[in-house]
Amino acid sequence: MIGPRRMPWLPLIAGLVGLVAQPCAAASDSQGAQLAASCASCHRVDGRDRGIPPLVGMDESRILKSLWAYRSGERAGSIMRVVAAALSPEDILALAHYLAGQSPAPGQR
Amino acid sequence: MTRCTRRAFGGWAGALCVACVPAFAAERRSAPRVVVVGGGAGGATVARYLAAAGIALNVTLIEPKKRYTTCFFSNLYLAGLRSFDSLTHGYERLGERYGIHVMHDRAAAIDPAAKTIRLISGANVPYDLLVVAPGIAFREGAIAGYNEAAAQIMPHAWMAGPQTQLLRRQLEAMPDGGVFVLAAPADPFRCPPGPYERASLVAAYFKQHKPRSKILILDAKDTFFEQDLFQDAWNRHYPGIIEWLPAQFIGTIEAVDVKTRSIRTTSQVFKADVANVIPPQMAASVAQQAGLADKTGWCPIDPVTFESTLQRGIHLVGDAIIAGDMPKSAFAANSQAKACAFAIAAALTGADSPRPFLFNTCFTVLAPDDAVSDAISFSNKGGKISIDQIVFSQLDDDAATRAQGMRESNGWYDAFTRDIFG
Repeated sequence: MIGPRRMPWLPLIAGLVGLVAQPCAAASDSQGAQLAASCASCHRVDGRDRGIPPLVGMDESRILKSLWAYRSGERAGSIMRVVAAALSPEDILALAHYLAGQSPAPGQR
Repeated sequence: MTRCTRRAFGGWAGALCVACVPAFAAERRSAPRVVVVGGGAGGATVARYLAAAGIALNVTLIEPKKRYTTCFFSNLYLAGLRSFDSLTHGYERLGERYGIHVMHDRAAAIDPAAKTIRLISGANVPYDLLVVAPGIAFREGAIAGYNEAAAQIMPHAWMAGPQTQLLRRQLEAMPDGGVFVLAAPADPFRCPPGPYERASLVAAYFKQHKPRSKILILDAKDTFFEQDLFQDAWNRHYPGIIEWLPAQFIGTIEAVDVKTRSIRTTSQVFKADVANVIPPQMAASVAQQAGLADKTGWCPIDPVTFESTLQRGIHLVGDAIIAGDMPKSAFAANSQAKACAFAIAAALTGADSPRPFLFNTCFTVLAPDDAVSDAISFSNKGGKISIDQIVFSQLDDDAATRAQGMRESNGWYDAFTRDIFG
């Protein structure tokens, strides 16, 4: 079970949602889209990733929690730790929001 | 607090969406003409992300090859672990899905004053905005006797395609007990782990098919990228097969002799059954011609916008540029390409240049079930792209971690080539 002890960052995230996401949704979306472009270097965007988890179609809170867990060191995974460390809390919020809003495009190969 | 300004990227979803229709088709006739020279990992990515930027642009991509074979993962083909076809990609989707005009021709010369590109075919292509992603050329005369004709006997296989197939045929034809000699260049060069991954995977092929054969690496350096991971893997997987000779033992790599298939260094002559000569490199010729390269042979750029510092109004990405701490890798080129596309789109819409998110990962295959990776993030520090964070696979990773690394490598190739070619 995931209890509050394992997720001490939750109040922080909730606070940041209120602070950033509301006043400037457009800027945040553009920031999210640009950050998401970096994800596409490794993650397929049609929900059919092989060997690397798909991101599109994942819900916002799961993306947010995963990125924060990588950033805080709670979750192992060398590549994603470096990715998450390069993201500010605002970046993580914008990215999670943006990715969760994308629907898997049909694969073609 | 985040300031709300006019932003360019309402339509960036298009770049992530693999089946979108290019926006603003009706506005295209009068839209700015963006020309991208070079259809590799850098150029094709710039073209694709600009075409999907949600602003009216005419995007043209100039690339001589109709089908592009990736250098990355070509060592797996040499080892017989991947088909040549699986490394080869067409440009059809960039045209069909993103409305990019792909011209299969070679840029012979750029005239920055007239804003035109002269093609080998003789045609002139005008541009309003130009991105040059030309890749590398070999430095002529750096190794005496090594030229295009010599490369048909002693392949470099450092620009993937027929050269890669030639090297594979030579390895197949080599008798068991033969010697494969690989000459590796000094920094900087395309794909820092590449020569050593190649030695590893040729060793994997030898181990299975020609177990009495040997590999000799003649290195122009005294250390190399991820050296501890490679040498650990060589001891575990290929004991006694690979010998690495650094510059401090052999001196400079001076000359080749195709008749005897030998490589001469300051101290010694090494005779090969199969020789793979990876020569010193510089930015490709069109960059030199256009005055985009400095005296180092590489192209200096602005670390935020990737605009040339020598020819304003021309942007550059990929192996040809001086990118500070970023390696010359396809991943780095793809990352730079996105930052460059965002910067160009921001400039066109009057927005501030966004902070580039620059990243590199090299997936390196040491054996069929043993792959490692590194991850590096970068940012602009005082005008130079510098390392922020860096991690490597660990020497004491267990076998399951390394096998998972191989699955991730394959997943990466699949996603990455879609990100480049659509």
